[in-house]
Amino acid sequence: MDELHELKKAFQEELGTVAGLEDLQKLKAKFSGRKGKVSAHLKKISALPPEKRSQFGSTLNEIKKFIEKEVIQLEASLKAEVQQKRLQTEFLDISLPGRRQLFGREHPINQVLTEAKDIFISMGFDVEDGPEVETDYYNFEALNIPKDHPARDMQDTFYVSEDIVLRTHTSPVQIRVMEKRTPPLRIIAPGKVYRCDADISHTAMFHQIEGLMVDTAIAFSDLKGVLELFIHRLFGKDTPVRFRPSYFPFTEPSAEVDIGCIFCGGSGCRVCKTTGWLEILGAGMVNPKVFEMVGYKIDQYTGFAFGLGIERIAMLKYSIDDIRLFYENDCRFLSQF
Amino acid sequence: MLVSFDWLKDLVDITAGPEEVADMLTLIGLEVEGSEQLEGDIVFDVNVTPNRPDCLSILGVAREVAAAFRRPLTIPETDMNSTLPASDIRIEILDSDLCNRYTGRSITGVTVGDTPEWIRKRLEKCGIRALNNNIVDITNYVLLELGHPLHAFDADKLEGSIIKVAKAGGSRSIVTLDEIERNLSDATLLIWDAKNPVAIAGIMGGANSGVTSGTRNIFLESAHFEPISVRKSAKALSLRTDSSFRFERGTDIIFLENALNRAAMLIQQVAGGVIHRLVDSYPVKPEYTKIDVSIRRVNEYLGTDMEKGEMIDILERLGIEAEDRGDVLNVKPPAFRKDIMVFVDVVEEIARCYHYTNIPVTAPKTTLSEGVISIKEARIRTMKQAIRATGFTEVLNYSFMSPADLDLLGLPEQDIRRQYVTLKNPLRQEESLLRTSLIPSLMHNVVYNLSRGSNRIGLFELSRIFEHRGEQLPREVLTLGGIYLEGRSSFLWKDTVPPFFVVKGALESLFEEMKCEMYEFTPSTEVFLHSGKAADIYFRKERAGFIGELNPHTIEKMNIKIQQPEIIVFELNVDLLLTVIPETIAYKPIPKYPSIERDIALVLSDNLNAVEILRHLEGFHPDLIERVELFDEYRGKNLPENKKSLAFRIVYRAPDRTLTESEIEPLHNELVTFITGKTGGALRGQ
Ligand SMILES: [Zn+2]
Repeated sequence: MDELHELKKAFQEELGTVAGLEDLQKLKAKFSGRKGKVSAHLKKISALPPEKRSQFGSTLNEIKKFIEKEVIQLEASLKAEVQQKRLQTEFLDISLPGRRQLFGREHPINQVLTEAKDIFISMGFDVEDGPEVETDYYNFEALNIPKDHPARDMQDTFYVSEDIVLRTHTSPVQIRVMEKRTPPLRIIAPGKVYRCDADISHTAMFHQIEGLMVDTAIAFSDLKGVLELFIHRLFGKDTPVRFRPSYFPFTEPSAEVDIGCIFCGGSGCRVCKTTGWLEILGAGMVNPKVFEMVGYKIDQYTGFAFGLGIERIAMLKYSIDDIRLFYENDCRFLSQF
Repeated sequence: MLVSFDWLKDLVDITAGPEEVADMLTLIGLEVEGSEQLEGDIVFDVNVTPNRPDCLSILGVAREVAAAFRRPLTIPETDMNSTLPASDIRIEILDSDLCNRYTGRSITGVTVGDTPEWIRKRLEKCGIRALNNNIVDITNYVLLELGHPLHAFDADKLEGSIIKVAKAGGSRSIVTLDEIERNLSDATLLIWDAKNPVAIAGIMGGANSGVTSGTRNIFLESAHFEPISVRKSAKALSLRTDSSFRFERGTDIIFLENALNRAAMLIQQVAGGVIHRLVDSYPVKPEYTKIDVSIRRVNEYLGTDMEKGEMIDILERLGIEAEDRGDVLNVKPPAFRKDIMVFVDVVEEIARCYHYTNIPVTAPKTTLSEGVISIKEARIRTMKQAIRATGFTEVLNYSFMSPADLDLLGLPEQDIRRQYVTLKNPLRQEESLLRTSLIPSLMHNVVYNLSRGSNRIGLFELSRIFEHRGEQLPREVLTLGGIYLEGRSSFLWKDTVPPFFVVKGALESLFEEMKCEMYEFTPSTEVFLHSGKAADIYFRKERAGFIGELNPHTIEKMNIKIQQPEIIVFELNVDLLLTVIPETIAYKPIPKYPSIERDIALVLSDNLNAVEILRHLEGFHPDLIERVELFDEYRGKNLPENKKSLAFRIVYRAPDRTLTESEIEPLHNELVTFITGKTGGALRGQ
């Protein structure tokens, strides 16, 4: 029995010298491992006289449990100590910046274009497309702007040849679509257009969205309804909208649409030239001459068309006073949107 | 058109204030774009649209004001005493299709001198320079007041008491009043005396017959010239005058006589002299349009509910006759409203005077439509989203390029990008061609931003390029272009990925996001790219673009201040990309059984292409090798010269059972033998 006493004593002594988890692991192996001292003593049982076996066995078992308990306890406190130490020594300067995922920006013109497109798409318009280099026929003639008509002065045109131009508006897409589809039609055609004109409010290239709705009973009041809804979605539902007469050869009656000046609230300022109104788009009922050009029966269909300049809307939305900023592509400008 | 409010009040009895009048004009279609206080008067800047030449005068605007406010119009007195001396000038119109009417009056014994201040002031307020030649200034005064251009000849300088109206008929020249010699084409309509041309019809008089301080007798012309002919001549001569501007838009063939009389009376009042009887050649009389307008259709067209009486009232206020025929109005526009020809023109007149603001707001009664984003639109949005997610910011450049841009890229003569579209009238030489590549614009964007202190630059553009293929219209190809320059990192946490692979990775992520799997990168020979760091991009064996570092020689031409910058560019045919994206996604089951992974590191000849080795490995036993990943590339220490080490992870997996180590062991050994044999390489560390 003394040897068991010695065993316990030896364990207790060595336990006192344990400095860390590693020492403890060694101690654990030395005493309670498969080849440890407890196992060694266990093997001796069979060599003992039968009457002593039970006593020896139960004492050894108690020591075994004692060792296990001590090891677990010490292990727990050592682990706690280690964790405590980590918490005390490890730290970050959490004020340092994180590693950001650089997300590129969308050009503000395309942001506005997408917003406008989505509004029309939600109103049931399809998105159509047409060439940027156009024939004189689609850009002018089919839109009731014959050669040598004063209305040609309304747009400064880039010519590729006598009969080929850079489209001056997205309106030719109207013609191309009507040539291949029959009503009902509800389309928009976004894209780049070109005019040979450049100053603080004009660039040689800019963006438009053309719209066209044709059916058997479309009225001017519907044009008002659709455009008012669009403007209210884009600028807020309290924005005043004003329709006034204008002239486009391909619409009759034609209208210019103004919104209440968003800078002065209508009281008059530099931006709205003291009128309280800002011109935002041109529109009108499709001129029957245009229907004749595409072979639609003029007594069967009516419709309206409109065109809006995206740069103008973006300038209003973001209070930008020089249109050329959009095409300088300065990263300090682009990163703001 | 500048309109003096004082002058306007001469012609219409206005009770409203100038501001109210301006607002009203805008509401009925004569937009007042601005107004200016001038010497106690207010001058409106009225935007007169090309369809309304009748409003290019104080009288025209007054007529609209009178209609809108229901106020009486006062047209200046133009009735002439019938007992006037006869004129000795005879008129002969040879081209009556270009001149429907020519009238005139001789005024003898005038004194050319200073113009009275009230006339001068009004001219200047309305934007016409007074010449201090009372005769000429009065013709301009009447042009502004009544809208009809007039011309005064020095009658003593006209040969042979005859005015002929005929085309130039052969090339000849005339010195116009501004002392410039003008070369005329055959078709130019001229005014002639017995021998020589004395004026370009409707555009400008000749210097040889002009009124000067010594002039005693004048012949005053008031005529109607065909608009297109005047416009063509004015355009050909690059000579736009207040007179041609009005003639090319259309003038009033009847009222021209009133304008003539008004001017004659003013001249007599100011310069004295004797007015002679009217000479009038009137070969072509105007035809009047009559339009049947259904009351119901007007209301259907506008979405209104107007009474017939209201429509008649509006038309009559505008000087348009409207005969009530029950459900229909028979409408007859006056001579000065040539723009009213068909039903919708009448609708417009009714609508604008009813005021657009009074027309109801309705929702269209039309077939429902889906309101969905098209597949193409959706894919382009995904693409832009993906390229932005990898750090590229979108730019928009003009579609133009300069001939120098092609040289910047150093493109050879036969390169397709030299098949460009040229503009006939560019704003600047640098913008005279349409882009055949997005790269030059992007290079300019980098130069621009570097010079403004930007550092790390990643830009993309999605725009069309224009390939001139000899057809009528160029081929417009939707193209994605990008440029990347790492610069000094301003980030705390540094990445050390070579820039080429940053950009290649961006494209690979983009392809993955778009579910495009059919792509391939192969070495490129683009001349503006670094020959060792450039790849062509293929979709299903079709070349769709390129990616690569700009050739040092190309970069040198950019003139940027950074030492040996690595600038990566790419360009991709998006139209082609969109054709290789699967229509639908088919789900592949998630593997049920675990995989076994084995790594091998091979020491290989430096010039071997990693993708080829990857393909060999993947193809070795496709049933059991799920995928192979290249996870390390190494050159340098511990390796012989011209060798590199590539490390691959082979993932073995069977779809129908759990693989065992003992099954994989011989297979993997076979693979090692196969790949070392195939590549002439060796396992690293052996
Ligand atoms: Zn304002």
